[in-house]
Amino acid sequence: MEAVLSYIIFFPLFTTLFMGFFRVGLRTLRIGAMLSSLLVFLLVLLVAAYFDPDGGMQFIRVLPWIEHYGITYKLGVDGISLVLLLLIAFLMPLLYLYMWTEERKGYWYNMMLLQTGVTGAVLSLDLLLFYLFWETMLLPIFIMIGRYGSGMRQFNAMKIVLMTVLGSMSMFFSILYLGYEFFAVNGWWSFALSDLSTLELDPRTSIWLAGGFLLAFAIKIPLVGFHTWMAPAYGSAPTPAVVIMSAIMAKLGIYGLWRFGYGLFETTLSYYAPWVMTLAIIGLLYYAIHAIMEPSLRRMFAYSSGSHLSMIALGVFLTNIYAWGGSLYFIATHALASAGIFLMIGLLYKRTRSDNIDDLGGIASYAPRFTFFFVFFALSIAGLPGTGGFVAELLIIIGAFKEEFWIGVLTATTMLSAMLYIFWMLQRTVFGPETVATEYFEDLNAREMAMLIPIVALLLITGIVPSLFIPLFEPQIAAMLADLLHSIGGL
Amino acid sequence: MLDQLLLILPMAITVIGAFFLMLLSWNKRFTLKDYNLVAVFFLSLSFILELPQLWNTEVIYIFPEVFGKMYVIDNFSTLFDLMFTAGAILTLLINTDYFKSRNYFNGEYFALILFSVFGMMTLAHSNELVTAFIALEIASLSVYALAGYHKSNRLSSEAMLKYMILGSMTGAFFILGTALIYGAVGSTTLGDIAAFIKGSGDSETLLVITGGTFIMVTILFKIGAVPFHSWVVDVYHGAPFPVTMFMASTFKIALFAIALRLYLVDFAPINAIWSELLQVITVLTLIGGSWLAITQDNLKRMLAGSSIVHSGYMLIAISSIGLGSQEAAPAIMFYLMSYFLSSVGAFGILSFIASRSQKSLTFEDFKGFAQRRPYLAAMMAIFMLSLSGFPSTIGFLGKFYIFTSAIESGQILLAGLGILTAFISVYYYFKLIAMMYFYPTNESQKRFPMDLSGVLIGLMAVLVIWGGIGTGLIPFIPGVDGFIDIAKQAVLSLQ
Repeated sequence: MEAVLSYIIFFPLFTTLFMGFFRVGLRTLRIGAMLSSLLVFLLVLLVAAYFDPDGGMQFIRVLPWIEHYGITYKLGVDGISLVLLLLIAFLMPLLYLYMWTEERKGYWYNMMLLQTGVTGAVLSLDLLLFYLFWETMLLPIFIMIGRYGSGMRQFNAMKIVLMTVLGSMSMFFSILYLGYEFFAVNGWWSFALSDLSTLELDPRTSIWLAGGFLLAFAIKIPLVGFHTWMAPAYGSAPTPAVVIMSAIMAKLGIYGLWRFGYGLFETTLSYYAPWVMTLAIIGLLYYAIHAIMEPSLRRMFAYSSGSHLSMIALGVFLTNIYAWGGSLYFIATHALASAGIFLMIGLLYKRTRSDNIDDLGGIASYAPRFTFFFVFFALSIAGLPGTGGFVAELLIIIGAFKEEFWIGVLTATTMLSAMLYIFWMLQRTVFGPETVATEYFEDLNAREMAMLIPIVALLLITGIVPSLFIPLFEPQIAAMLADLLHSIGGL
Repeated sequence: MLDQLLLILPMAITVIGAFFLMLLSWNKRFTLKDYNLVAVFFLSLSFILELPQLWNTEVIYIFPEVFGKMYVIDNFSTLFDLMFTAGAILTLLINTDYFKSRNYFNGEYFALILFSVFGMMTLAHSNELVTAFIALEIASLSVYALAGYHKSNRLSSEAMLKYMILGSMTGAFFILGTALIYGAVGSTTLGDIAAFIKGSGDSETLLVITGGTFIMVTILFKIGAVPFHSWVVDVYHGAPFPVTMFMASTFKIALFAIALRLYLVDFAPINAIWSELLQVITVLTLIGGSWLAITQDNLKRMLAGSSIVHSGYMLIAISSIGLGSQEAAPAIMFYLMSYFLSSVGAFGILSFIASRSQKSLTFEDFKGFAQRRPYLAAMMAIFMLSLSGFPSTIGFLGKFYIFTSAIESGQILLAGLGILTAFISVYYYFKLIAMMYFYPTNESQKRFPMDLSGVLIGLMAVLVIWGGIGTGLIPFIPGVDGFIDIAKQAVLSLQ
């Protein structure tokens, strides 16, 4: 039982190695990938079942790795990482279902490696182990965009790698410095989060160290100003990679803020709060305006995703329980909704070979089932009451109003602007007159329905009965928040 | 007497092998393959005889009644010897096909390789400046000749001339420095110099410092630090492939052997004096090397440029030693091992390709390589990742140790610059990966070459990964810790 997290991380990797070694055929490969992802999902459910909401960090596993520098292989799961863990494990089988007809083997291998990378980053509690996963999860994305993407794929792949590596290098520097400070104070090396968080740094150092981490996360999220990789990468990447990028990797940036930002720099992160909040609010509006103007569906939802992630980032820096709870809840529900909508765009692209809004129209009259799902996911992105996104956005907006009236007002505009671009987009794509591209539009088949229904169901459940999920992580963020407010000295 | 002879047997074998090959090459009956086998045989014999020494922690002076403390055998030199012989064996074996594909190789080539290995081994063992100089010249002269081995090729001859003229000139600095030090100390043994420095005041050590600076110039030239770098790219480009590989991986390590020994033993009490100078040179080397590497189209030239950057990383650690970092010296040793593995692998693949075609190996030539040769492309990608310091490869840990030691010694800005150049290096290394994987080709897939060079390159790739993530939990197989432990033990034997 104590090794279960390791199994969850490395099972896809071993499946990849095993199948790659024996050079299995396509059929075996995809069945193997599917089975491995289902097995991982079961294991994750098992973890969730045994998870104790009040227990803090659980399933901790520590093994020595580089003993000389006190670097350990340390894993653990708490309320926040459990949400992300569940998400990854839930989405992976659905993505495989989406790619079922995909015949390029490298595609499958890369997806499995990607799962190992993102899961590892969520579960690592040692900074260097985290860094290892954080960097390596970039490689499959690099290959996916550059090899299987569209448009200026080579250029865009290079761009995302260079920008993200710039961020992670700055984080790497901060990690090294922290490690050394710990050594200087205690006389022994450690890179474990729980050890490093006990360090008392002087405020100046602490501020620039926090900056190193923040840059990495800001690029990953991305906040406005660090976002130039986003639209090209989303535009060029193949659908499964886009889903992972928007549903998981961007969220890992937020997760990093929580786990490492607040974990290590409890008191000094608030130094950056005005900056991040300003950027986030600018991002909310800027991305939304971009989304309204964007003619390509995939890029439009890239910007929409940026807008919502800015909102989540804002929520993380508004230190009250509504905003924090809302942010964490929004991580999950937005991941589901954006996974859904990007899958729909992928399906649309397969049928029409275009994701340009001007080429589309009149899908509703040919494909009622497609239309239903498309409209549902689009509306849940916009925060349709009854879906999880609504609950989450509402919580963040309440939190924002509690903080400051004007922040609340500006935050609330996301809901309005999202309504604007979503409805306008729907009007031009699924309704209206048909075009050359949408003639004889095939409706969804059983496999595609099977892939979408679980997401719809989960979005509805999270929207109607949030009380099922919130207790899972609420005690922990309440405790973290109390701790934080205590240490920055105010309530 | 006998046990002392046994100890120097590994070095003796290489030089005997070199003479043997010279004699052999009179006779025209033997083929290149024979020469290669003989050379590898002698080198392997030396390697195997030396290997048990790795567990020997004593410091032994050879024939002290005759040579004094000129020639030392310690763990440090043993580790370097093993790297030299292993490097030479690998360059010979991996390039088997290359030798066949070019008509200008003959028996003397292998003799020269063995001579230069002998020179490098002596360099690692020398505990005295004149011995070090002679050893350095033995190694250098052989490498000059090797660089110009393709006599009819204009580039190769240019490389040889450029390297030899500049190299000999800077070699003179070494001997000048030695003379100055002898003038002040009255001895050229490292221990005596260190004792003299400890026992005397600032005004008396002035000559020693000047002499040390001159010696440093020679070493900086040979490792290609900016501003002594102007030869690197042209020489690496002009020299035949196996020679470039030998220079980049093996010969460079030899220079760090002597640099470390000088710095850690000889000038230990005053090495802080040079740290500012070294810092300036490091900054120039990192930036200049990155610039050289970015702007190249040809892969050999790119790797030459990036080898300057790698020297820069190690220079960071050298000045950390001067500023009192305990971790810096093992960090350099580890970095040398990691650079050795990755660069031998990368050059090996290049030479593999070059032996089957007459391409000049620009980035463009690699388009679609992953489709033609998926396994080789994957290995090349692994080596590139390791060179760029991507986590989960040995190159990452090498950088980790170097930068940690830099922070430990308070050189925070230098560590930051190092990380920045590591970021820049991601660009030029990933460019190759992008070329290999992101462009389609019409050529059909070829089978993995299950010959010796293919297997050896594969082994290097596995080692690169294992050195980056290997766990110590598996009995009898050293994990990540094992590598750094070996390096630490070697450095300890110096004190």
